[in-house]
Amino acid sequence: MNPLSRIIDYIDTRLGFREIVRNNLTGYLLPRNVNSWYTLGSVVLTLFALQVLTGILLLIYYIPDTEKAYASVGRIMNEVPFGWLVRYLHIVGSNVIIIALLLHMLSVLFMGSYKRPRELNWLSGFGLLNLAFALCLTGYLLPWSQLSFWATTVATDAAGAMPVVGEKIVHLLRGGAMVGDATLGRFFALHVMGLPLLLGGLIGFHLFCVRRVGISKPPFGSEYTPPEKSQIFHHEDHPGGIPFFPNYVVKDLAVNAFFLAILVAVAFFAPMLFIPPTALEPANPFVTPPGIKPEWYFLWAYQTLKIFPNKALGLAAQGAAMTFLALLPFLDRGPERQPARRPVFVTCFVLGLLLFVAISIWGHYS
Amino acid sequence: MENSSVPSSQRRFFLTVLLGAIGAALAALGGWPLLRFLAPASKEGAGGKVSLAKDAVPVGGVHFLQFHGQTAVVMQQKAGEFTALSAICTHLGCVVQWKAQKGEFVCPCHGGRFSPSGAVLGGPPPKPLESIPVVLSGDQILIG
Repeated sequence: MNPLSRIIDYIDTRLGFREIVRNNLTGYLLPRNVNSWYTLGSVVLTLFALQVLTGILLLIYYIPDTEKAYASVGRIMNEVPFGWLVRYLHIVGSNVIIIALLLHMLSVLFMGSYKRPRELNWLSGFGLLNLAFALCLTGYLLPWSQLSFWATTVATDAAGAMPVVGEKIVHLLRGGAMVGDATLGRFFALHVMGLPLLLGGLIGFHLFCVRRVGISKPPFGSEYTPPEKSQIFHHEDHPGGIPFFPNYVVKDLAVNAFFLAILVAVAFFAPMLFIPPTALEPANPFVTPPGIKPEWYFLWAYQTLKIFPNKALGLAAQGAAMTFLALLPFLDRGPERQPARRPVFVTCFVLGLLLFVAISIWGHYS
Repeated sequence: MENSSVPSSQRRFFLTVLLGAIGAALAALGGWPLLRFLAPASKEGAGGKVSLAKDAVPVGGVHFLQFHGQTAVVMQQKAGEFTALSAICTHLGCVVQWKAQKGEFVCPCHGGRFSPSGAVLGGPPPKPLESIPVVLSGDQILIG
């Protein structure tokens, strides 16, 4: 017997290793018609792991001090070997994560996978999307550039539109009347510790839900029938399906490689795609640069605030849209998941998507 | 269509080697920038002289300073007579302290004792403090 087999036998005798592999990998069966859209969750997980790795590396040289932050980022870019690569991967990675998360959410919506019994999967996933937004927002301030300073000023100011408590929330977010040292301290703590801890916990819960309930069958093809409502817990299994390992893992790896290739290509050939010129000047609290815009994924929110006659109404509209999305599984309770048999939903889906894109473009050019 | 001329064990072996090679190449591609990123800055520990104003070192006194990324100490035992030593204890790397009354260096970690010339007077240090060349240039001391 070779040494590797002996080591595996040793572990298996003590921890039942082969049983875990059988139950979760080789013997864990997925629907035969599972498609590439199902791999987006693993893409997001890979990208989050990359953000953690590059984030830890950046922490080695980054200094969270308003007097030194911008210079420390400059040093990372210009003096530390491959510092530019680590930082670009972190910046581009944050944008690619949002793209992957949105695509993941859209595919779940289109295939009706949020429906009973997967309401908790949806809620935890929606929470993860919002945490990712919060991580992007807090990370934006850290380089202490003009863009960082003023984008954070505008973003935190929006909370002031809330009736009664608005001003207090703005003060709480900033740690004072203006964005300054206290804001950097708060955002830094949230970005590197508070939010990642929450994110890790929520990812764990999301994966637990996915594994416990089982992968949903794609609602396509003539053999598809909507599942019957059950009052007791039922794990959806797929007899005769394809094994998670190696069949599905290969598909997972291929889509992961595709996304990583895009990330690396942008980081190498078009890194300034996500870095406007105002990000290349140190923060100056006395000079607001013209045309400060949020990141592309916040443009819809930015423009919504401008469309409505007052900020409170705009904020309420955003809140209503987000609450509607969060509670969708409790509002759309029919068992049917096949898109062809859900014309009203598909119409709303397409119109909603077009509205999001249109408002974002409007926000970009306004 | 099946290609029966190559046994499946050979195909598996070939694929394993191929995947291993791709994995190793990717690890090297990612590992090299990571190592370079984590490596200390090349200028640290490298060479030129460090200058210090003569007035910074009193007669009979010492002055601690950073020298090529490490702690060093400059002394003026008699007027105009400057010497410099590494202040890193040769036992376990703590920085030695100057005891003016006794006229010797003492390591606070394990009680190693050194003379003003760096020689071991007692305690666990295995060898003397490293001596550093000093040159006077006008009102500046050039160390290194």
